[in-house]
Amino acid sequence: MVRNKSVSLFQLRLRKFRRLKRGYYSFLLLFVAYLLSFFLPFIMGYRPIVLKYDGHYYFPAFASYTYDTFGLGRSKVYLASELGQQEVNGEPVYGEANYRELKKQYAEQDQGNWLLMPPVPYGPTEQFLEREGTPPYPPSLSHLMGTDASGRDVLVRLAYGYRVSISFALLVTVVAYTFGTTVGAFLGYYGSWLDILGLRFVEIWGAVPFLYTVIILASIFQPSFVLLVTILASFGWLGIAYYIRGEFYREKNKDYVAAAIAIGEGNLAIIFRHILPNALTPIIAFAPFALVGMISALVSLDFLGFGLPVPTPSWGELLRQAKDGGMQAWHMVVFPLGALFLTLQLVVFIGEAIREAFDPKVFSRLR
Amino acid sequence: MTKPLLEVKNLSIKYPIWGGVLRHKVNEVCAVDDVSFTINVGETLGLVGESGCGKTTVAKSIVNIHRAMTPGVAQEGEILFHTDDGPVNVLELDRSQMRSLRAQIQIIFQDPFSSLNPRMTVGNIIDGPLRLHSGKTASERRERVAYFLERVGLQPEHAGRYPHEFSGGQRQRVGIARALAVQPKLIVADEAVSALDVSVQAQVLNLLQDLQDEFSLTYLFVAHDLSVVHHISDRIAVMYLGKIVEMGDSDSVYKTPSHPYSQALISAVPQPIPRRVR
Repeated sequence: MVRNKSVSLFQLRLRKFRRLKRGYYSFLLLFVAYLLSFFLPFIMGYRPIVLKYDGHYYFPAFASYTYDTFGLGRSKVYLASELGQQEVNGEPVYGEANYRELKKQYAEQDQGNWLLMPPVPYGPTEQFLEREGTPPYPPSLSHLMGTDASGRDVLVRLAYGYRVSISFALLVTVVAYTFGTTVGAFLGYYGSWLDILGLRFVEIWGAVPFLYTVIILASIFQPSFVLLVTILASFGWLGIAYYIRGEFYREKNKDYVAAAIAIGEGNLAIIFRHILPNALTPIIAFAPFALVGMISALVSLDFLGFGLPVPTPSWGELLRQAKDGGMQAWHMVVFPLGALFLTLQLVVFIGEAIREAFDPKVFSRLR
Repeated sequence: MTKPLLEVKNLSIKYPIWGGVLRHKVNEVCAVDDVSFTINVGETLGLVGESGCGKTTVAKSIVNIHRAMTPGVAQEGEILFHTDDGPVNVLELDRSQMRSLRAQIQIIFQDPFSSLNPRMTVGNIIDGPLRLHSGKTASERRERVAYFLERVGLQPEHAGRYPHEFSGGQRQRVGIARALAVQPKLIVADEAVSALDVSVQAQVLNLLQDLQDEFSLTYLFVAHDLSVVHHISDRIAVMYLGKIVEMGDSDSVYKTPSHPYSQALISAVPQPIPRRVR
């Protein structure tokens, strides 16, 4: 017996999205880049991927990466003395090994010790001040996109900044969507006085000037990733709540809701199991554009100096350095803006494709 | 033996009209005005009338979904449903009492497109009432879903499909299966065949009649097409502007209508042989 696999509306739309090449490939590109960005210490970093000393193998990048990133706590930073490094340029080394000097040392000693640095052997907070003059240094062979005003590699900071930007935007979007959807669903479903009061609250909240709030809060509290996510999400949910409320108003009068009531479903089940899946289409189509908004918001806040705390790598902060330097360093304008433009453009391509794939007129529920 | 299953006594339903800055009630529309009728066990009462006369309002009132869907609606009078433990007034039940009664009163909707949730598989839709009322395990319920799908003329494999993969008539069968799943005593068919074309109408009507015999169902059959109602009903009530203007045996109302509105309704029924004198 042949059984046709049945497909839901969502699966149909997903298939359509895959057929829209520009959006789909943009999505793949950004997604793969984002996944790779979680392995950045192995591509760009100042700790060796593999190190052989005294017959033992060490994995300093991996060890400290798992320690930093996942808080596993069982890994460690290798001390200079452990790896046979006593002094650098005549001065004793304490704490972590200086791997760049260690590499030279191993090469000179020629005792079978060696280490393999990542392809781009610079860390996001490492300073390179050995060149003539004062930083920012323009692009060169060793630093393809130059260095910033503190002598840090721009390419590396851009790459790490990508992870920060996307993570930030995704997190804000998820938080704002979850909260906005819930509030909008309750307002739209219950209506009456809850809706009247709730909507007035949304209107008043929406009238609070966003930037001033951020500036005031940033001057009271030390801005942190979590605080910024909270602030942006606390303003981002308003529009979502509006959308969902409207959708619920439209959907709740349909017969399938009456049918759900007639079989005795509870209110929460009706809201979240029956109506919500039908109300999500507009905000799913809107999500990539929300992402664009959040990425830009973070860049602007960093640019204005109310963003993530230093020394977090960030695109807006590079632009601010360029501005503070009187726009002399062209590479600190062109490369961050280029990265920003490229990312936003790709996200917009995704958004267009999702919008087209989720067009309710194509797979209409009321054919 | 005629035992009443449902008694509607002096039912009046008023919809509020909201207005003003604070959205208070400025006026009301009287959709149903002092309607009374009785449906006996095992019979089919046809409720006919033009659109907007209040017949759907009555139907939704019997399954008690106004309160949840339309805040501020005023329902006066009594809707007595005779359970095994004696009569209960549907309008006075609280949520949990009503929930336990819902297994006994089910509704089939007019629009087969909007009455099925487009994001749920047909199996899930029919499983809904079973999950809430039958207390059966998931695998037992799957068997019941398959059984009812077959019983309404679909195939058990259809359980995994979505409503948009079905035609209007098939969707209406899904709606019937959903109403049937918990084996209610009373099914309110709210314009159940009005949205279907004539040949499909006949199939669905015959299905409803077969099911009535098999599961000893009682129907309140709401429609605007008198010929359809005449075909399926034992008795007919004619509604006009929120009131019942005539009620009687199906044949007597159809053949010798007494109220001028009933006469007008009957003269509007299309004739298979147009030149024959009505």
